[in-house]
Amino acid sequence: MSTDEVESTFFRRTSRWKLIVLLLVLALIITVIVSLNVGYAQIPFPDILGILGKQIGLIDPSLISSQNEAIIVQIRLPRILAGVLVGAALAAAGVLYQGVFKNPMADSYVLGVSAGAAVGASFSILSGIGFVFLGLRLVQVAAFVGAISAMFLVYNISRVGSRVPITTLLLCGIAVNFFLFAVVGLLEVIAGDELHAIVFWLVGGFSNVLWRDIWAVLPFVIIGIVAAYFYVRDLNLLAMGEETAHHLGVNVERAKQVLLVLASLLTAAAVSICGLVGFVGLMIPHLTRLVIGPDHRILLPTSTIIGAIFLVICDDLARVVATPFASTLELPVGIITMLFGAPFFIFLFKKKKQSYAA
Amino acid sequence: MNTKYLIAAVAVIVLIASVAFIYVYSQGQPSGEELEALQNLVDDTGYKTSLTAYPEKIVSVAPSCTEIVFAIGAGDKVVGVTDYCNYPYNFKTWIAEGNMTSVGNFKDPNMEVITALEPDLILASGGVQEESVDTLRERGYKVLVLDPTSIAGILKNIELVGNATGKRAEATAVVNDITNRIETVENTVANATKPKVYYEVYYYETASWTIGALAWQTEVIEKAGGTNIFEDQQIDYYQYQVEALIYRNPDVIVLPGEGMGSGKAESLDAVKVRPGWDTTNAVQNDRLYQINSDIIERSGSRLAEAIEQMAEFLHPELF
Repeated sequence: MSTDEVESTFFRRTSRWKLIVLLLVLALIITVIVSLNVGYAQIPFPDILGILGKQIGLIDPSLISSQNEAIIVQIRLPRILAGVLVGAALAAAGVLYQGVFKNPMADSYVLGVSAGAAVGASFSILSGIGFVFLGLRLVQVAAFVGAISAMFLVYNISRVGSRVPITTLLLCGIAVNFFLFAVVGLLEVIAGDELHAIVFWLVGGFSNVLWRDIWAVLPFVIIGIVAAYFYVRDLNLLAMGEETAHHLGVNVERAKQVLLVLASLLTAAAVSICGLVGFVGLMIPHLTRLVIGPDHRILLPTSTIIGAIFLVICDDLARVVATPFASTLELPVGIITMLFGAPFFIFLFKKKKQSYAA
Repeated sequence: MNTKYLIAAVAVIVLIASVAFIYVYSQGQPSGEELEALQNLVDDTGYKTSLTAYPEKIVSVAPSCTEIVFAIGAGDKVVGVTDYCNYPYNFKTWIAEGNMTSVGNFKDPNMEVITALEPDLILASGGVQEESVDTLRERGYKVLVLDPTSIAGILKNIELVGNATGKRAEATAVVNDITNRIETVENTVANATKPKVYYEVYYYETASWTIGALAWQTEVIEKAGGTNIFEDQQIDYYQYQVEALIYRNPDVIVLPGEGMGSGKAESLDAVKVRPGWDTTNAVQNDRLYQINSDIIERSGSRLAEAIEQMAEFLHPELF
């Protein structure tokens, strides 16, 4: 291959990537706009536009009820944006975990991060203290702290000298994960009246997300994803094996450390506002890899956007699928992600498993 | 002569003693209609339990059952209750003093403790207890499941426990008292306009639950002179879309207060600032109330109290 050819392949590829990302961003925007129309209350689309216009001071529509305005501005918009943030954070974290562990099963459960968040949340629920800390509810702070502590615990247990081998990290992670979920189980047994609260937290949902929650996690999600993007080349090299990556100039231990902290930070921020929403972190990176390819330079941004689109659509479905039974019924979003996500993934996998096996 | 008198006297004494013994023995034992009822105890699961004698040792594995069995005066036969049972007595103190045995929590009553108590009747509720009930029945225990879906169902269950424990008259008296009190409330609120009521089961960060048409608490709201804003939903307890609550705009909001119920008691100020709730008539007119969840969540003998309390919330001007 001549230099010209290499160059033209490179440009063709980057322009193709740019197009893909652009299309996905467009798809995300359309998803958000369509989702604003989804829910029990039938609010005409022009009214929705009027309400949004009023928020940014453009117009002052007169004939819109305060109930409809509250529904769009205080309920639908925050839960849609929470879906975007959480979906993006979990999917990005999934890419990082799978990249670092070079293991298709890796996700936030592997390092005990989800379990740590669950323990933190359960303890705070049992404490009965709902107090607000710097504008946040205790359960959110506790989940965040629990997730980060679990990650540091696993990381330090697995350390052999200055290195942290992937195998010990995986095994310690699994052991800590089981231990922490046993603690959650124990707390559930003694929970009594608070059992419901723990169970609902473990299933996850966006039912009562506040604007405050969005602002609280936004910086973590943005910093986490942007910082991770600086490591996409290292992730590509790590995929060839740690030794090879080392010889190609990657500071392997440093990269692993940073990437795991970033992934755990993203997960902790996500679960702190909506509880444990399963499947997104595990499956979205795979799904993206099936459709777009394994190069982390494109895998990370596309997974992030697809994760956001996926979770927003799942939350729409949570509000829609059960309405034939009762028009105001809603399902927990964590159940929808698995109920609809898993068959969709299996369908894609069946179509493309040849390329996956290669 | 003397011997004849003696024999006659002994015979008379023996006769009187026998009659007295039979009378005392048969007293409190079922016969006729009572016996037939005792042999055909059909509970809310449709299961037919057949007893031959009134139970001497009753275990109650649900607070609602405990309340009923004590209300009809069969409490002296109760040998075991759950840690959640707190009415009509403070059973925690009884248990601590050794006057009552705890069979543990509500969801997983302790089978070993129940076995050790050798109950001849167990009273249970439905839902999470179904599995325990199946296990107990497989082990040959007589179990009555009280899992009513309506006010009539609760009253029927009080009669059922009366039939099972030989307290038929007392049970009927309790039922009549409840029926009369409900009628009084209904008459009082008969001509008042019916406010739209939102009744909260629980509200957490990730989910909110309320009641639909199939929960008996919807009937409580109706008897108290209101309508449940979700009365058209053919479901009992469920996770609802909060935007539906705001869209339907309740006039009154009833929240769980003190009590051991499912929801946690929150300050009314915290409820008022939930997103979008400030637009409802209830918040704007400051009509938020907290009800003791033990009274309104337990399908027991405090039903009339629940309705009276609800009516006071919905029509404060009439009480």
